[in-house]
Amino acid sequence: MGLTNTPSDLLPGTLELLILKTLVSGAKHGYGIVEHLRLTSDDVLRVGESALYPALQRLLFNGWVKAEWGTSENNRRARYYTLTAAGRKQLAAERAEFDRMIGAIQRVLGTT
Amino acid sequence: MKTLFQRLLYLLRWSRQGADLREEIETHRSLRQEALERDGLGADDAAHASRRAIGNVPLAIEDSREVWAMRALDHMRQDVRDAVRGLRKSPGFAFVTIATLALGIGANTALFSIFNSLLIRPLPVRDPGHLALLNDGQWSYPVWQELSARADDLFDGAFAWSAQSFDLTEGGRPVPVDGAYVSGRFFDVLGVPAVRGRMLTPADDSAAPPNGLVAVVSHRFWRQHLGGADDVVGRQLTVLIQRQRFPFTVVGVMPSGFDGVDVGRVADVLLPFAAEPLLQGRDSALSIVGKSWLEIMVRLKPGQTIERANAALRGVQSQIRDAVLPGLRASPAFAARYLTDPLTLAPAASGASGLRRTFATPLFAMVVAVGLVLLVACANIASLLLARALARRGELSVRLALGGTRWRLARLLFLESFLVATIGAALGLLFARWGSALLVRQLGTWERTVSLDLTLDWRVLVFTATLACLCAISAGIAPMFAMKSVAPGEALKSAGRAIAGDRRFAVRGALVVAQIAISFVLVIAAGLFLRTFESLSQLPLGFVPEPLVVVDVSLSASGVPPEERGARVERLLEAAVASGVRSASLSQRRLLTGGGWSSNNEVAVGDRPMLPEDRQRRVWRNATTPGWFETMGIPLRAGRDFSDRDRVGTPPVAIVNEAFVRRYLPGQQPIGQTLRLDSEDSPRYEIVGVAADAVYTTPRQGMLPTMWVALAQRDPREWSAWRNVVLTVKAAPGQRALVERDVAAALTMADPTLVFTSGTFDEMLVATMTQERLVAMMSGFFGALALLLAGLGLYGIVVQAVNARRTEIGLRMALGAPATGIVRLVFRRVGVLIAAGLVLGLAGSWWAARFVAPLLFQVEARDPMTFSGTAAVLVAVGVLAAWVPARRAARLDPATVLREG
Repeated sequence: MGLTNTPSDLLPGTLELLILKTLVSGAKHGYGIVEHLRLTSDDVLRVGESALYPALQRLLFNGWVKAEWGTSENNRRARYYTLTAAGRKQLAAERAEFDRMIGAIQRVLGTT
Repeated sequence: MKTLFQRLLYLLRWSRQGADLREEIETHRSLRQEALERDGLGADDAAHASRRAIGNVPLAIEDSREVWAMRALDHMRQDVRDAVRGLRKSPGFAFVTIATLALGIGANTALFSIFNSLLIRPLPVRDPGHLALLNDGQWSYPVWQELSARADDLFDGAFAWSAQSFDLTEGGRPVPVDGAYVSGRFFDVLGVPAVRGRMLTPADDSAAPPNGLVAVVSHRFWRQHLGGADDVVGRQLTVLIQRQRFPFTVVGVMPSGFDGVDVGRVADVLLPFAAEPLLQGRDSALSIVGKSWLEIMVRLKPGQTIERANAALRGVQSQIRDAVLPGLRASPAFAARYLTDPLTLAPAASGASGLRRTFATPLFAMVVAVGLVLLVACANIASLLLARALARRGELSVRLALGGTRWRLARLLFLESFLVATIGAALGLLFARWGSALLVRQLGTWERTVSLDLTLDWRVLVFTATLACLCAISAGIAPMFAMKSVAPGEALKSAGRAIAGDRRFAVRGALVVAQIAISFVLVIAAGLFLRTFESLSQLPLGFVPEPLVVVDVSLSASGVPPEERGARVERLLEAAVASGVRSASLSQRRLLTGGGWSSNNEVAVGDRPMLPEDRQRRVWRNATTPGWFETMGIPLRAGRDFSDRDRVGTPPVAIVNEAFVRRYLPGQQPIGQTLRLDSEDSPRYEIVGVAADAVYTTPRQGMLPTMWVALAQRDPREWSAWRNVVLTVKAAPGQRALVERDVAAALTMADPTLVFTSGTFDEMLVATMTQERLVAMMSGFFGALALLLAGLGLYGIVVQAVNARRTEIGLRMALGAPATGIVRLVFRRVGVLIAAGLVLGLAGSWWAARFVAPLLFQVEARDPMTFSGTAAVLVAVGVLAAWVPARRAARLDPATVLREG
C-alpha cells in the first residue's frame, strides 16, 4: 500500500501493527493506546502523538478500525477506537509478515 | 466504492475533521496532565509538561488529514494518468473525438448563452420574479400618470420608461448615445442601487426638480466616456436637441451589469420624463393622450399572483380611461374603443425585449437543432469508443487475467470518455464565446445595434457541464457493452475469425440508425429553411434597390421650428440634387423597415361611410416629393406623379397602388375617385395616379394596400410629429460609394448641424431578412454537419464489419463468389441500416413538421419535394460511405486472407 509513515524509531508499518494488537483487548482512546503500549513494553515504546494520530487515521482510512465518540475518565469527549473484522484479518496477516521479517533479520544478524 | 465515498465525505467535512482531531488530542493531553499530577507534579508544571510532550499539534492534525487527501488524489491521479496515456497512444482518435465534442458543445453553449441572455437570465435587480410588464406594447404618458397614481395601492410600485437616442456633444461633435426617459421611481421600484452618487428620485421627475436637470449614466458609459473618474458626480453632460444645448448634471452611476430593462438594447444615459418637455419644447409628447411611446412595469406585492394583479388592474381600468379620454383627440369610433381591451400583465423577471418577439421561436428551433447535432456527434463518439474498446479487447483481457477487476476496467474506459468530454467542453466554451459574439453581431443591422450581455454566468456553465456529463455518459456507456465480451484468455483466441451476426455490431448498428434518423430530420429542416429564404429573397420587391443610396435625416435633432421644416428639407433635396446625382427624392417613410405609417382603419372611398378601427385592414401610407417613383424604379400604371404644383392650398391628391385598387376599387377606374381616412373631418384626397405594387413593410407581408400623399401638401403643423425624413438617391452603376460621400458632403455644407445616417438599399434589404438568413444559414450548417457525422459513422461501421469478416469473405471468394456478390453482401447489411434510419427519420420529421411551420414562407412543412430530396441525399451519402469499404472487400486476395487465418 506504500504507506508513508511518520518518523518513528519503529520499523515501517510496525506502529499500525502494535495499535491493532492493542485494540484486540477492547476499545481504547488515543491516550489509552499510548499508555497500554508504554506499560506492556516496560516503558520502552513511547509513542508520540504526532505519530499516533496519523497512524490512527491510516487505520481508519483502510477500514481496519472504527472510531466512536465517548467520554474519557476525566469526563471529556474522546474518540474510542475498536478493531473491525477487516482489522483482525489485517492483524493476522501483518503479524505473519512481521514474524517472517524478524526471522529474516535475526538470521542475517546470526550469521558471522 | 465505499472508500471512495468515505474519502469524498471526509474531504467535504475538512474543517470539521480538524476540529475533531484538535479536541481528541486535547483530551489526550489532559489525561496525560492528570497522570503527571498523580505522579506528584504541580498543576502548572503538569500542564506545561503535558503540552511539551505532545509536541506540534497543528502538524499532527495536518499529517492526519493528509492521509486522506493524498490517497484520494493518488487514486484519481493514477486513473487520469492511465486515461491520458490511453488517449495519447491514439492521437487521431483523441483529436477527432475532442474536436467533434468541442464543436458540438461549443455550438450548443453559444446558442444557449444567447438564449439565456435574451430569454432566461433575470434582470440584475431586487427580486426580479415579482416584476410584471403591462402588455401589449406601449402606452401614453397620461395613461402612465393615471396608473402611477394608483400603483402603490394595487402593487408594490410601478415604473415607466421609454427607450431613446440622445445626441450628446463631446468636444463639440454630436455623439449619438442610447438612453431612455425613466419615471421617478424607476430605480426605487426595480431595486437598483447606485455605485457612485445616487439614482434618480421622484423629486428629479417633478415639474420643479430641486437639482435642476439631472442624469444617471451606465457603468459602461462612466468607464468609456467619463474615464471612470471618482468625481463623476456633479459632472455635466450636454444633450443636443434642436440646435440647443441642455446641460445635465450626472448624479449617479448604475451598477455594472445593469443596462436598463430592455434586453438587447443598452441604456447608457437615463433622464427623468420631466426633462422631456424641456428638451422637446413644442414637440413634447408628454401630454398627448394618443401618443403611445413608453412601457410600463409593476412590482407585484409579496404573494400577489399575476391573476390577482390583473383583476386589480382591470378594476381601475375604467377610472383610468375616464380620466384620460377627454384629452384624446380622435374620431368617435376610435375613442369608443380606446383602452377597452382588458389590461394584462405578464411576468417580466427577465425584462422586456422586442428582439425576443422576433427571435424567440427561431432561436428555440436552433437550440433544438444544435442539440440534435450534438446527439449525432455523441453517437459517433460512442461508436468510436466502442470500436476502440473492441480493438483493445486483447489489452483488456490481459488486464483481467492479471487480476484487474471489471469495475476497475469499466472505470478506466469511462474515465477516457469523461476526459474527452471535459477537454471538449473546455474548448467548446472558448469556441462558444467567439461563436455567440459572432451570432449576436449578425442579429444587428445598420439601424439597430444589438447588444446582449454574453458573460458566462452560472446558468451557461451549468448547461455546458451538464452537456459534457451527458456526452461522457452517453458515449461512455457503449464501451461497457464491449466489456461483456471480454474474458481472461480471450486475447489468445479470436483475431479476425468473427463471422456475420456478431452481437457487438448490433450496438453500433443501432447507433448508426439513430444517426441517420436524426440527420434526416436536420437535413429536412435545413431544406425547408433554405427554401423559405430562397422564396423570400426571390420575391419581387416591386422596386429596384441596387442603385439606391438612402439617407435618414433626423429632423428633431435640428433647431428648426416645425413650420419651417418643410422648406428646410426641400433645401436639402436641392443640395443633394446639386451634387450631381441622377435622381433624388424625399419620402416620409423608408420601405422595408418592418413598420411604417398606416391609417387606423379602412379608407372610405367616395361618399361611403367611415368604418370603425380595424388594424388588420389598415392602409399603409407614405408622403413623397415628385420623382420618388422614378427614383425607386416603381412604374406608374395610370395617371400622373405628384408635381410641383401640388402644394399646401391646392386640392389634396393621392397616388394609390394596385393592391389598394384591388381592395377598394375592383373593376373601377381609380383616377378621379376621392377617398377619406381616419376621421370624419379628413380631407378628400383625389386619386391622381396608380403605382405598381411594391413591398412596404417586409417581403413576408407581401404587397399591402398603400396610398401616397404629396409631401409638399402636408399640413406644416403636422411636421412636429415627424422625427425624420428619408432622402433616396439613385446612383449610376458602380458609383454608389462615391455618391454616398458626395451627398453627405453636400448635405453637411447646406446645413453643418444636420444629423443623418446613410447606407445602401441593399444593406437594408439584407437587414430585413436577418432572421430568415440566420436560420437558413445555421440550419444548413447543422444539417451538413449531421450528415457528415452520420456518413462517417456509417463508414466506420462498414469498415469494421468488413475487417471482422475478412476470413469469411476470403473463403467465399476462394469458393468462387464474384466481386459483385461480395459488394452485394456488404450492401445488404448497410441497406437495412439506411432503410431503418430513413423510416425513423421520416416519422420524426412528419411529427416535428408542425413546430417549424410558423417559421416557413411559401413552403409546406411537409413539402414532398424536400422530403424526397432529403431521402435521396441520405441514400447517396450512405451508398458512398459503404461503397469504399465494399470495393476494398471485393478486391481482397483470397489466398492472402486465408493464409493469415
